[in-house]
Amino acid sequence: MSVITYGEAIRQAYQEEMRRDRNVFLMGEDVGRWGSLYRSSKGLLDEFGREQVKDAPISEAAIAGCGVGSALMGMRPIVEIMYIDFITIAMDQIVNHAAKWHQLSNGKVKLPIVFKTQGGAGRRNSSQHSQSLENWFVGVPGLIVVMPSTPYDVKGLLKSAVRNDNPVVFVEHKSLYSDKGEVPESEYLIPLGQADVKRAGEDVTIVATSWMVGFALKAAETLEADGVSCEVIDPRTLWPLDKETIIRSVKKTGLCLVVTEAPAEGGWSGEASSVIHEHCFRDLKKPVKRHCSIRTGIPYGPVLERQVVPNVESIVEAVQELVTQGSLIAV
Amino acid sequence: MSEIRLQGLYEEMLLLRHFDQLSMQLKLKDLIYSGYHPYEGQEAVAVGFCGALEKDDVLLSTHRPHCHAVAKGCTLEAVLTEMMGRVTGCSGGLGGGMQYLDPDHCFYCGSVVGSNLPIATGIGMAIKQQDLDRVCMCIFGDGASNTGSFHEALNLAAIWKLPIVFVCENNQFAEAMPVREFVACERIAMRARGYGLEEITVDGNDVEATRRVAQELIECTRRGKGPFLVEALTYRLRGHYVGDPEKTYRSREQVDMWRQKEPLTRARTKLLQAGVDAAELDAMEQAIENRLDALREWALQQAFPTLEQAVDHVYIPLAKGERTCP
Repeated sequence: MSVITYGEAIRQAYQEEMRRDRNVFLMGEDVGRWGSLYRSSKGLLDEFGREQVKDAPISEAAIAGCGVGSALMGMRPIVEIMYIDFITIAMDQIVNHAAKWHQLSNGKVKLPIVFKTQGGAGRRNSSQHSQSLENWFVGVPGLIVVMPSTPYDVKGLLKSAVRNDNPVVFVEHKSLYSDKGEVPESEYLIPLGQADVKRAGEDVTIVATSWMVGFALKAAETLEADGVSCEVIDPRTLWPLDKETIIRSVKKTGLCLVVTEAPAEGGWSGEASSVIHEHCFRDLKKPVKRHCSIRTGIPYGPVLERQVVPNVESIVEAVQELVTQGSLIAV
Repeated sequence: MSEIRLQGLYEEMLLLRHFDQLSMQLKLKDLIYSGYHPYEGQEAVAVGFCGALEKDDVLLSTHRPHCHAVAKGCTLEAVLTEMMGRVTGCSGGLGGGMQYLDPDHCFYCGSVVGSNLPIATGIGMAIKQQDLDRVCMCIFGDGASNTGSFHEALNLAAIWKLPIVFVCENNQFAEAMPVREFVACERIAMRARGYGLEEITVDGNDVEATRRVAQELIECTRRGKGPFLVEALTYRLRGHYVGDPEKTYRSREQVDMWRQKEPLTRARTKLLQAGVDAAELDAMEQAIENRLDALREWALQQAFPTLEQAVDHVYIPLAKGERTCP
């Protein structure tokens, strides 16, 4: 094992996959000379040259369309949309074309594209550079949606996403790039659609995604000291969803908190909550509780930003509310 | 470059004209379900440009694709039954009249205006990078030239010198919007200058001209001189869709004036002047009509896709150990 950052784990995944298969290439704004905004492709232009590492103009529709067209011709593009907020410009290609062509060709066409982007708050960038828009893609048949939370996960999942023949929307988090974690020296893959139990526990299940996973784990430590044992589950892939792992946990604990950075309304947290209610209704001591960002544009600056997004303390409070004896009916 | 034979081109245009008419009849009988976009009057563009491609060359088309598809080499059977939602269609009857894929003939179309241009850049990039002896042609209407996709793709294709022939089929109307009112420059081809490309226009109702220009541009593109943007000026003789409120956006006189310039009449007049026997041309037309009658009868017998087929191929099964996508 070596300890590396989330950003370095991404770089290693690129490097290994581009060495393994010359059809794999990375394209996006400033992925070459700069090595990406968060340096996750640093040095790759030197190793692989401009055929495999392509700096693109600020043209998200063209970048995404280039992914569709080149995948059609047998290449394996990783197209980077610098901020998930900019993916709005590329939506047509992702939703209307990438997600549809396999089906429209009766399975003859495959489009192994990774639409790689990063979202979320934490870098004081206000509401056009901090959104959590992953929910949109969960609602589109034909897309796989991945949201890794650790260096180990991001590397193993990115490699699987590259090798997968479906279009994948791969959403990193801008506040995680310098997080460190253990990663094996030897090659490994993490299957898509497999959740990970980040911490085992008995009293409450916390299902958290991306940046929220680390907060949930810290909250679980605090709660442990108060005598509440939390099991923390990271689905890692929002779709397809590993329902079994979540259901197994909730059947054991009987209480569940879903934590996402995206606002609750109309989001994946509702999908997760619904799945749990459908499968664990009789095991639940209380309805599933959701703890998500306030439904607002992410405000500018560190103080307000912190107040609208869930954090360790707010997760602790949410779990405490859940475990406190009281009405079975949600308020 | 192959010799241009007007009679052969005329025959191909006749086939498209009658195919379009057959499709329109089926639409009026509600046997084609989606919006049907008639092609009448634009045949010299499909035959001249799409028909000039080799089988391995890739064609990206529009929401008015049926004649482009046939000119590219897709079978009449596959195109017609796709429009009719039958399982024998290009996309198994799941795409309909505006969106289908025929990978065996390198033909792809879709119903979002302008979206095919960015896809062309990816195809062009792959052709160039893999050093393939193929070109990509991307055909779109005047309306598409106002989308962001048009400008993003033209710029990318130009900076990377991609092997793409972009063909703007200017039929003078984006649905009900006359081109003169919504395109700021005098000719759409002028937009090529903004990307460092040559300004090329062609009379889109003259099939010899469209074929000649197409051959030249395809040939230059094969030699690495691409991309190109060419504007083919034509006129949509029918409504945007069958039965649209035409008089809200154009006069009868204007349509009549353009009908006199339509490509089949022009080609036929020229052939007759050159001494071709009218009876020979009539026999040719009769043979096409007979062929399409048989096609219609065959098409009506074809099955519809099942629900199972409608939900198949949404995802490719994941690798071993990975979750199956429901």
